[in-house]
Amino acid sequence: MSFTEIKNERFGEKYYTLRHPSGLTIMVCPKEGFESTYAVIGTRFGSVNSEFVHNGVKVKVPDGTAHYLEHKLFESEEGDAFALYAKTGASANAYTAFDVTCYLFLCTDQFDESLRILFDLIQSPYFTDETVAKEQGIIGQEIKMYEDNPEWRVTMNLLQAMYQNHPINIDIAGSVESIAEITPEILFECYHSYYNLNNMVLCVAGDVDPDTVLRIADEKLKINEPVQVESVFPDEPYEVKQTLVEQCLPVAVPQFSLGFKENAPKNYASTKQLLCTNIILEAFAGTGSALYRKLLDLDLINSSFGTEYMEGNGYRAVIFEGETRAPQEVAAIIKEEVRRLHQTGIAPTDFDNAKAVAYGKIAYGFDSTYSIASEMLNAAFTGRGVYEAAELIESITLDDVNQRLKEQLDPDNCSLSVINSIS
Amino acid sequence: MSGWERKQLCDGVGFSYIADMRFKKGRIGATLITPLSRKTAAANALLSFVLTRSCRNYPDFTALNRKLNDLFGAALYPSVYRRGDFQMIGLSAAGLDDRYAPQGKNVSGELAELLCEIMFDPKLVNGRFDPADVEQEKRQLIETIDAEYNDKRTYAINRCTENMCREELFSIGRFGSREDVEALTTDSVYEAWKVLLDQSEVELMMLGSASPDTAMERFRKQFESKPRKCVGQTKFVAKVDEVKRIVETDEIAQSKLVMGYRCAHPQNMQERIASGLMSAVLGATPTSKLFLNVREKQSLCYYCSSMVDNDKGIMIVDSGVETKNIEKTENAVTEQINLLKNGVISEEELENAKLAIKNAYIASMDSLAAMQSYYLSMVLSGENYSPREAAALVDGVTKDQVVAFAKQIQLDTVFSLIGN
Repeated sequence: MSFTEIKNERFGEKYYTLRHPSGLTIMVCPKEGFESTYAVIGTRFGSVNSEFVHNGVKVKVPDGTAHYLEHKLFESEEGDAFALYAKTGASANAYTAFDVTCYLFLCTDQFDESLRILFDLIQSPYFTDETVAKEQGIIGQEIKMYEDNPEWRVTMNLLQAMYQNHPINIDIAGSVESIAEITPEILFECYHSYYNLNNMVLCVAGDVDPDTVLRIADEKLKINEPVQVESVFPDEPYEVKQTLVEQCLPVAVPQFSLGFKENAPKNYASTKQLLCTNIILEAFAGTGSALYRKLLDLDLINSSFGTEYMEGNGYRAVIFEGETRAPQEVAAIIKEEVRRLHQTGIAPTDFDNAKAVAYGKIAYGFDSTYSIASEMLNAAFTGRGVYEAAELIESITLDDVNQRLKEQLDPDNCSLSVINSIS
Repeated sequence: MSGWERKQLCDGVGFSYIADMRFKKGRIGATLITPLSRKTAAANALLSFVLTRSCRNYPDFTALNRKLNDLFGAALYPSVYRRGDFQMIGLSAAGLDDRYAPQGKNVSGELAELLCEIMFDPKLVNGRFDPADVEQEKRQLIETIDAEYNDKRTYAINRCTENMCREELFSIGRFGSREDVEALTTDSVYEAWKVLLDQSEVELMMLGSASPDTAMERFRKQFESKPRKCVGQTKFVAKVDEVKRIVETDEIAQSKLVMGYRCAHPQNMQERIASGLMSAVLGATPTSKLFLNVREKQSLCYYCSSMVDNDKGIMIVDSGVETKNIEKTENAVTEQINLLKNGVISEEELENAKLAIKNAYIASMDSLAAMQSYYLSMVLSGENYSPREAAALVDGVTKDQVVAFAKQIQLDTVFSLIGN
């Protein structure tokens, strides 16, 4: 068993990868001269994976289970993993997203020991009625904190307006009511389905050598027999559920989020599709664009304005968001400009300008151990190559981008989410 | 692997260079340091946004941003913050390291030049800033100030420090007040620009693989021969006569509790570290007293943490809780602080805190932005330690020093934001 080396010549980057006998996929990117090491282990289990078939049996879990499991996995019979990391000085954390759950640490010393803790953590589930009950209060407060967060609310409301059936429309942490239904049995069921090492990936970047990672993996990881587990997603129509959703919160400046829903197959977008989308959004709505300038001159946006492309199994959407005094007006202008864009396509000078930005962003991603490890994890879960973007960017043409544009930004299939001020 | 060199370019102007070959990015920035003043805070703040919006050569927002895009997504970063009772106006530029630039483009040279241009050669109309630009940036800054209310955690902390320091310059706030911003004119912003460039202390910093020589000369010429001195002193309050209690209500699901404390003024690096260790033991890590007792043991909250500001001598403890638990949480915090004052700190707690702080110091060496901020703070505190040297100092700090620091903290203000 040995590592395969993958290189990118242009940026002088490389990483090593192998499939460990335990089932775990390991990716290691040594960064010469770096002082810290960032490690993250992830599973393809997030809030959207609430319905799945495990060894032929269909399972449906309460909303917020993946996030609850993340909190509880941090605790073992011996106590809290934070207490163990404290002995190595590593700063540790975990997070749950729509389609992944990740456990991570950043250390500058005692990497071996921190990695042992990480491996133990994900291999020793300990859930009792008592420990599960204790978390209700803590997560209940986390949920309430997000209820007051206008940026989170505007996005969640948007997803609820865009998606009729797909569980992307459900809050990652669930609700106070749904988490009350969570039991140790439910957590074990999810654990045995998704925390099988064959479904997991470890990514390490920074001051690290691959052999050390392998040695500790050999020492700590138990061989996992692959399990049959498949998430089930309801069919999602192309059309958005509703075109407008509004909520009032105590905010001084209203917030908006305008989402253009697209056709979403049950897989991830390709690197080329993503690059083209990035270029489209930069050229169309970046700080150098005519649209940005128009909205600025009309006093409709400020520097909080931005775009995002969201994609996963069964959902893809372009989102425009920010603070504005007039959400409806902003949305109308963006839609009008989108219609025009579909007629004219991206202009060659705008394309060159935006492509230069995309090139820089790829390069900057190699500067932080966090972004390298996240990119490796992302690549492993989506089937995209880690250096694909770096290799492809220069070959992307105006024609590619204008072809891609045809699949995106349908002005007749979008939702507007608004957080208004209470007063 | 990264060496830090600082040269005094001229009176009141320093230039630091951190040679580092590890990154795909390079960075150059200027920080203008001036005493906080109600008269100038808003104008200085606005200035940082007006200057990064355009310059004579790229006379509008779009032209300047397209230029930055062409430099492979380079960016200009305006920043405005307080350090003690001083206002810091930061103007930084970051972009692709020349080694990775296609067609051999000299990105670092162009960026350094662009930074000079936005600072010294802005777009002027009739000898003043363009009124349209000033109005546009005023509108945006007012929205930024208003939006601080949108995030209730930040809002509650701001309200606590504002009330706590209401007799001090610190209460002015980094942007000045909304009313002060509204009152700004193209004349007042132009005046602020002149005064800031001519009189404030300046720290320049360049990080990356590019040679600093050209940029250093360019800045030396610009700043030369102007006597400058940043006069002023941060006020440290040593004694609290009466605890202030402020309660506000709002339509929120989760109430916020913020407790503001006065701390001693650390006199050197060891004392700064002792203060950081105190906060780490109390509430800045997931093995801290507050995390373990208020969150894990009592399940009162999702977060209950502490942060100490050594440049102002204050500490903030904040938490988000159920309204009915506010008093209980305040008592729980007070109980943990009393333990600290009475020296109830285990070997393990102190050791954990030391490891966490050392980890943070050393990890800062892996980011250009973090190094820029670390070395700036070294220069301004008159210290000369690399992050590794600072980490080495941590081991020498004793429990007695930490307890001595803790004994001096006093509760000053309790701010609660209560959900209806």
